[in-house]
Formats: sequence, C-alpha cells, structure tokens
Amino acid sequence: MDFTALSETIIKGNMDGAVKETQKALDAGSDPQQILDQGLIAAMDVVGEKFSQGTMFVPQMLRSAKTMQACVALLKPQFQAGTVSSKGKIIMGTVKGDLHDIGKNLVAMMLEGAGFTIVDLGVDVAPEAFVKAVADEAPQILGMSALLSTTMPSMKATIEALKQAGHRDKVKIMIGGAPVTSQFAKEIGADRYAPDAGSAVSEAKGVLAAG
Amino acid sequence: MHSLPIPTFQPRLKVLSREQALAIHTAALEILEKTGIKMEHEGARAMLVDAGARPFEGDWIRIPAYMAEEALKTAPRQIALYDQNGKKAMALADENFYFGTGSDTTFTLDLESGERRQCVLADTGRFARLIDGLDNMSFAMSMSNPQDVPKIEFIYVYAFAEMVKNTNKPIVFIADRRQDMAKIHEIACLVAGGEEALRRKPFLLNYSEAISPLRFPAHVVDRLIFCAEKEIPICLPSGSNAGGGAPVTLAGAMALGIAENLMGLIIHQMTRKGAPFLFGPNVSVLDMKSTVVSYGCPEWSLTQAALADMRDEIYGLPIWSFAGATDSKAVDAQAGAEAMLSIVTAMLSRCNLIHDVGYLEYGNTSSLEMVTIADELIAAALHLTKGIPVNDETLALEALDRVKGAGSRGIFLTDDHTFDHFQEALFLPELMDRSRYDAWMAEGGKDLYRRANDKARELLASHRLDPEMAPELAKEIDQLLGKL
Repeated sequence: MDFTALSETIIKGNMDGAVKETQKALDAGSDPQQILDQGLIAAMDVVGEKFSQGTMFVPQMLRSAKTMQACVALLKPQFQAGTVSSKGKIIMGTVKGDLHDIGKNLVAMMLEGAGFTIVDLGVDVAPEAFVKAVADEAPQILGMSALLSTTMPSMKATIEALKQAGHRDKVKIMIGGAPVTSQFAKEIGADRYAPDAGSAVSEAKGVLAAG
Repeated sequence: MHSLPIPTFQPRLKVLSREQALAIHTAALEILEKTGIKMEHEGARAMLVDAGARPFEGDWIRIPAYMAEEALKTAPRQIALYDQNGKKAMALADENFYFGTGSDTTFTLDLESGERRQCVLADTGRFARLIDGLDNMSFAMSMSNPQDVPKIEFIYVYAFAEMVKNTNKPIVFIADRRQDMAKIHEIACLVAGGEEALRRKPFLLNYSEAISPLRFPAHVVDRLIFCAEKEIPICLPSGSNAGGGAPVTLAGAMALGIAENLMGLIIHQMTRKGAPFLFGPNVSVLDMKSTVVSYGCPEWSLTQAALADMRDEIYGLPIWSFAGATDSKAVDAQAGAEAMLSIVTAMLSRCNLIHDVGYLEYGNTSSLEMVTIADELIAAALHLTKGIPVNDETLALEALDRVKGAGSRGIFLTDDHTFDHFQEALFLPELMDRSRYDAWMAEGGKDLYRRANDKARELLASHRLDPEMAPELAKEIDQLLGKL
C-alpha cells in the first residue's frame, strides 16, 4: 500500500484530508501498524528534516504533529490492547518550585509528533511525584525542565530521590530550560541535555538507539 | 523688534493613532472583564473580590474596568530614582529616557579569553563597575546568574550585594520570593541609612514577572505586595511574547500584556495608593524557528514605541522597555545592527527605563564589550534625537562672510565659528573608528570588538566609585550575607 497521499496531508498539516486518507487506508484493509509507521511517523520524519533545514517553521511543524495525532486517534481502536508500538514513553514535567511550562509543552508536542508517548506531569512537580510516575509508567526517558536558576536544584533532588527509590537505573534522564547547561547536566548526573525542543527530539531518539 | 527663538524640533517616532491606542486599551479591559485572570494568591484574590471582582472556576477572577481606571488614577506619574549618594539620578516621567543593563544571563563573554563561560559573582561586580564608569548608562542590573554563590536560593541577594558594592548608580534587581526580597530590602536600608530614608529616596527598582497568558502565581504577587508596602518601585511585565505566551499578532499580544500589567497595578495600588509602579509589558516575539524570545527583532521596538504612544494618549505612567541587545552569539555586525535599531527607536519613541543593554544571544550571554559599544551607540542616537537648532548663530551667515572674505584660502575649519561650536554641533565618536587606513593599521588594525575590549579593560582597571563603599558598610553587608 502506498501512503504518499496520507504523508503529504500530514506534512501540509491538512487535518481533514489526513483523517480522510487514514480512514481510506483502513477501509482498504491496510494494517494499522503499517499506516502508523509508513504513513504517519514517516511523514513526521520528513517534517523533522524540513524543520532542521529551515524550510519549515515551528507552527507548521506543530500543525503537522496535531494532524498526526488526529490520525492516531482514528487508528487506536484498531489496535489490540498493548500491540501499538510507539517509539518509546517519556515522562515530562517542570520541576518543583517552577511554574513555567511554555517550553516544556513545546518539547512535549514535538516529541509526540516524533512518535513518542508522553506522560506530562505538568508544573511544580515534586521529586516524589516524578519517582512515583517512573515506578508506575516505566518510561524509557524522564524529562525535566526549569526556567529559574533558583529551581534548578530540584532537578538534582529528583535524581537523588530516584536513586533512593532504586529507580535511577531504569530510566534515562534528559533535562533542559533556559538556565540549564550541559555542564550542569553532567554535574547532577543527568544522561542528556537538550538546549531546545528540536534537539530534545534527536536526544530522545539517541537514547533509544543506544538501547 | 524682538522675535522669539525658534524651538528645536526633536525627532519623535509615533506608531499608533489615538484610535489604535484606545482600541488596544479597550481590548485589555475586556480581557480583565470577560476572560479573567488566574489569581493564585489567596489574599490578593480575597481583596479583589471584596472590591468588586467576580470569582469563578476555582482561583479565576473577572475584574470590572473601573478597578483598572481607579488604579491608573492613583499611581504616580513620576518615579524618581536616586543614586546611592542620595542624589536624584533618574526622573522616570514623560519623555525622559535612561539606559541600563539586563539581568539573569547564564553566560558571559570572558574579557581575557573571549570565550563564552558561565557567570560568576565577580562578573556581576565587573558589570556594575563598568556601568558606573560609562557616561550614557544610568542604572545597573546583574548581567549574570552567578553560579558560585554559597546558597543558590539566595542568588539574587548575593548579586544585589555585589552590585551595591560596585556602583553608586540606581540598581534594578530581581528576587525570587518574599524572603529573599526582604533580605535585599535590608541591604538597601543599610546603604540608604534606614527604611524611611530608602522610602524617600529609593535607589532600586524591582523587576518581577507574571506568566502569560493570564497567570499570577502566589510568590510573584507576594513580591508585588511587598514592594507596594515598602514603596520600592516595581515593574511587572508578564512575558506576553507574540506567538508564545500571547497571540502572534502584535495588537493582541499588547492587549494581553497590558491587561496583565493592569491586573498587577490594581493589586499594587489597592495595597498602597500612590506607591510607584513602572508600567509596561515586554512584548517581543517567539522566533518561529528556534522558539527563543528574540532580543534583536524589529517587533519589540515596535511594541514599545506603541506603548509609549499609549502612555501619552492614555496611561500617563512611565514605562519599562529594552534596547541595545542582540540575538547574535558574537559581538559582530548582527549585534551592532540589532542593538542600534532598538537604541534609536527606543529613544525616538521616548521609552523611559530602557534595560537589557549589552545582551548577546537573546539574553543568555552578557558582554562587557557589548555594553561599552552600546554606550557609544546611545551617545550617537542622542545626537540624532537632539535635532537641529536653528538660529542666527547656527545659520552662521557671518561666518560665511568671513570665509568668503578670506578669499581662496578660506575654509571653515580655520574659522572661530568652527572652534566655538564644533563640540556641540558634531558628534565626536570615540570607539567608532574614522581614522585613515594607515593610522588604523598602525594601531593594530583592531575591529570594534577589540577596541571595545581595550576600553572595557581600561575602565575596569581605572574607574573608582565616587565614593567607594565605606568598609564598615561593606562589613555589615557581608555579615548579613554570612547569616543567610
């Protein structure tokens, strides 16, 4: 089955068209996993590429991601429980004491667009809440964000709490936010540092590729 | 027969008509009345509801327009900032403008190596001292998030103490919550000679932020109330940046930012009528590729010029603004071009308190060289803004007669009129190089960045405060820091 038309609607961010194309593929008897992989995620890979080449802007990329999500919603009932394969699961949140979430939300949307499953814990997330979410959700990656230099220590506190609870080795930790640096990431023992939403996606892909 | 002197027209940028200004103001009031604000501070919410605001859905409230109009009436139209010697230094009102640096950069360009590295407390001191020594800079901000402070939760207290020790000019400071703000206030009282003296002659102004869209976190409102009570001048923009926290269209972003500012002003004036509040949202744009908040874009210059028009048409309160910054990572052509655009337009639109001078990398890196260069760009812009005085002396017909009378050897360069007037008639640059090529090469063929580096080093090595801080006062401040 050829998913070119579907991919194109995703890349253009044509939501109605994409949903129609997805339905058409399902009606034609295509495998939902194939639609997801070769239609939707393949389109988002193109979007990611165009974005990094500078020929696509963030609002266009986000529209493509939203379009893709609408198609995924259509596919979901077609999957047997647990058989849909996503690129991986990521827990995200802005750390304790910090109420800023524009950056974190943007990262979450981009990761979702790239095929990851996101569990967003919101803002002002306490270390214990991160620990509990890691225990409950078993994600591959934990993403933490901070905008204020005064809340950066919460990142370290969260990593300590994960160690205490015996979960540190089960998850890779990625951090970001305006005052955060790669050096700080090293100091507190985070695995990855992403200076912006685009690099968060490639870092996340890198984590999974490294296994 | 006498005639009146011809007044000098001073170039002025206007970007909004009265109709446009009123329409944005009306939209801001509609946001308060119809959309509402998420007021997370319980005390402030109760106070507002008592006064006529209507609560809905948890901590949201809707605020009738008359509450904003009342607050606008009681807020003072002039904010005077003093230097640390008690001399009036900044009369923030009407068309007066003052330039200064910015806060909270993670990195700085090292003066020795030129490398971008993380800021330390000594950088905070260096920037404050440089500001003290530069003629066109009126106030200091930290230009750093020093990573070497003993206790990170008091980072702003250490930064404030470092600034106080290194400049006598007014200081615009940041705080995190009521507790560290109280410590900063304590230090300021030590410097001013008591709380009453500080209240009468404040040398500091707080910069705080609500969160666009529509969100007022409790600890931000705590700071706002603290400043109102102590009459520490404050501004409270909300980061209503186009395409991020606010609509991508500038009118909508301004309306939202102004609504949020009015919300802050209402709480502030209800807490203490007549306490000084510097008006104005920051309305820049989110870059549509990198999602950084741009510091070199033309839009921010446009929105603050528009705000100056709204000040003149409606609010009458002095405004907060920015200039002299760039998104460039280096002190290069982009940096110079972007810095000059915002400096000239901020001056031409008569913004009042103009901060962020010397920022590189969308406010993530500070540069002593950039501040030094901007200082001269401000002087050049000032020359432009002063206009062309027209009178008998400047029309210089007599000088022309003299030069004509001197025959073929006549040149204005040798005439007394030139000797008498050239220093105020012309802009005489120091850093901007106009030397002949051979002379420039003989001086090492240095570009602007290198020349600014030389000047910054020289100033930091030679400049002394007038006076330097008394050792007893420095000791008191250090004792206070030791007890944090």
